[in-house]
Amino acid sequence: MSRRIALIAMTLGALVMVYPYAYMVGSSLKTRKEFAESRESLIPPRYQIREQLAHARGAPSALDWPGADWSIWRNYVDAIRYGGIDRYLGNSFIYAVVITSLQLFFNTLAAYAFARMKFFGRDLLFGMLLATMMVPPAVLLIPNFLVVSELGLVDTLWGVIIPGFAGAFGIFLLRQAFLNIPAELEHAARIDGCGSWGILVHVILPLSKPAIITLGLFTFMGAWNMFEWPLVVLSNQDYYPLTVGLSLFRSETSADWPRVFAASVMGAAPLILLFLVAQRYLVGGISLSGMKT
Amino acid sequence: MARRVSWSQRLLPYLYVGPALTVACLFSFVSMGISLWVSFHDYDAFAGASRFVGFDNYHRALYSADSYFWLAMRHTAVYVVLSVCGTLLTSLPLALLCLRAKVGQALFRTLYFLPSITPGVVLALVFYHIFSNYGQLLDCSWTALPALALLGVWAGAGYNMVIFLAGLTEIPQILYDAAVVDGANRWQQFRHITMPMLRNTLVFVTVMTIIGSFQVFTSVYIMTSGGPERSTEVIAYSIFVNAFAVAGQMGYASALAWLLFAVIFVFVFVQMRVFRSRRIYDE
Repeated sequence: MSRRIALIAMTLGALVMVYPYAYMVGSSLKTRKEFAESRESLIPPRYQIREQLAHARGAPSALDWPGADWSIWRNYVDAIRYGGIDRYLGNSFIYAVVITSLQLFFNTLAAYAFARMKFFGRDLLFGMLLATMMVPPAVLLIPNFLVVSELGLVDTLWGVIIPGFAGAFGIFLLRQAFLNIPAELEHAARIDGCGSWGILVHVILPLSKPAIITLGLFTFMGAWNMFEWPLVVLSNQDYYPLTVGLSLFRSETSADWPRVFAASVMGAAPLILLFLVAQRYLVGGISLSGMKT
Repeated sequence: MARRVSWSQRLLPYLYVGPALTVACLFSFVSMGISLWVSFHDYDAFAGASRFVGFDNYHRALYSADSYFWLAMRHTAVYVVLSVCGTLLTSLPLALLCLRAKVGQALFRTLYFLPSITPGVVLALVFYHIFSNYGQLLDCSWTALPALALLGVWAGAGYNMVIFLAGLTEIPQILYDAAVVDGANRWQQFRHITMPMLRNTLVFVTVMTIIGSFQVFTSVYIMTSGGPERSTEVIAYSIFVNAFAVAGQMGYASALAWLLFAVIFVFVFVQMRVFRSRRIYDE
């Protein structure tokens, strides 16, 4: 009995979670007239059965409104053709891919050294690295901007990318994974003539695939969703990622909202698809970042 | 020959650690150092001129009559309290319900998790319309901030639910079995087993929510721009506006950033303690 109540409660909750997405997709399919006339509806009026029946009867209906002959994809096509959304999407993709690759490469190297090599000052440097996590991003916004402007990278692709290129959390996560690999495997590889690079590539990396995939996904998602940093660094619209491109429409009553919603769907969809494919790594990662008693 | 190998062996670790450590330090310690220096100056990034002014920027933020620092801090505090209460009152019950429901757990987890993987800008744009379709929450100066907190809680519910689920599944079933033998009812089980066993997770979620909501920016920027009548001007937004919307205020904005850091640091310190005590990948 209580199980059924739980199930009903969770289902209601799921509807609350999904509603904004349904609203976004529904609105992205509307014509401008439909959006103005029926803002709350999830289904565009020209696809509603009631309106179609009215139209069949010859009564006035939404099918007589201007734009009623629009194809269902019209706003998506227009967002790309006139809104430059493909450009923003491309930029977001570049930022996410470059940041993820750099993070994985440099964090792996650092994590390997911290996990497996003995060198002077190792614990001190690792402590320093962990301490960098103490400054939260909102505090760092202005300071990092000052550094990037000192480096002369304001309003460039690299200005957006460079602070994301290494992260203490990633090194920490990978180091923990590497520490779990038995040292005997490494000794065996060394006897077979592997150097430290060979060990990293042939022993460590294949054995820590889940941690690397988790970190890669987290980084990719973080980079795709980043907003405040590119907003501050960039002024040239050609370099805008999708998030900043979309923010141009904020509180603009005259905006072509169905088209903005179409762009929003295109901005949210890649990550949702990625999430559906790679869910177990992400949820596993979240559970890890959560606590164990 | 042997000597050369050993030299390169000795340098290799620094080569591996170097790039990542340099960038990580550059964009934390070094940048905070520069901004500390800037905060003591009347600094104009575009003119390149700077004049030492001592604690003027801090004094202006804390005591000046035209300063919105305390106003922004008050709004931020309200937002933080609302977010923490909202998060604890939704995500823990959701986790308990999710466990109880037994079927469909994976599906629920997926659906509840969606906001965590959606760009904040997209969520803000959609909720801007939803809030204006149903009531004028964002147009009224005493409902705007709670409305933003509602979005924050909604967006974080699934993420925190997953963390609570992980914590809940770690509690040994044997404790509950023993409690049942002793005649404990549901509430007593929750009160005397679940809550104490979940203490660390509770602290973790609370502290993370506090730190996260102290930094709220995107929803404010997109949905209200700090309005109506500055009722949603939070500290992160205030810093942004002072640094980039008003020319020549970089020193003042840096001082604000340092003040925010001082406030958040208390919670970050707690978080670091928790972070150090938890075990990752150590089964």
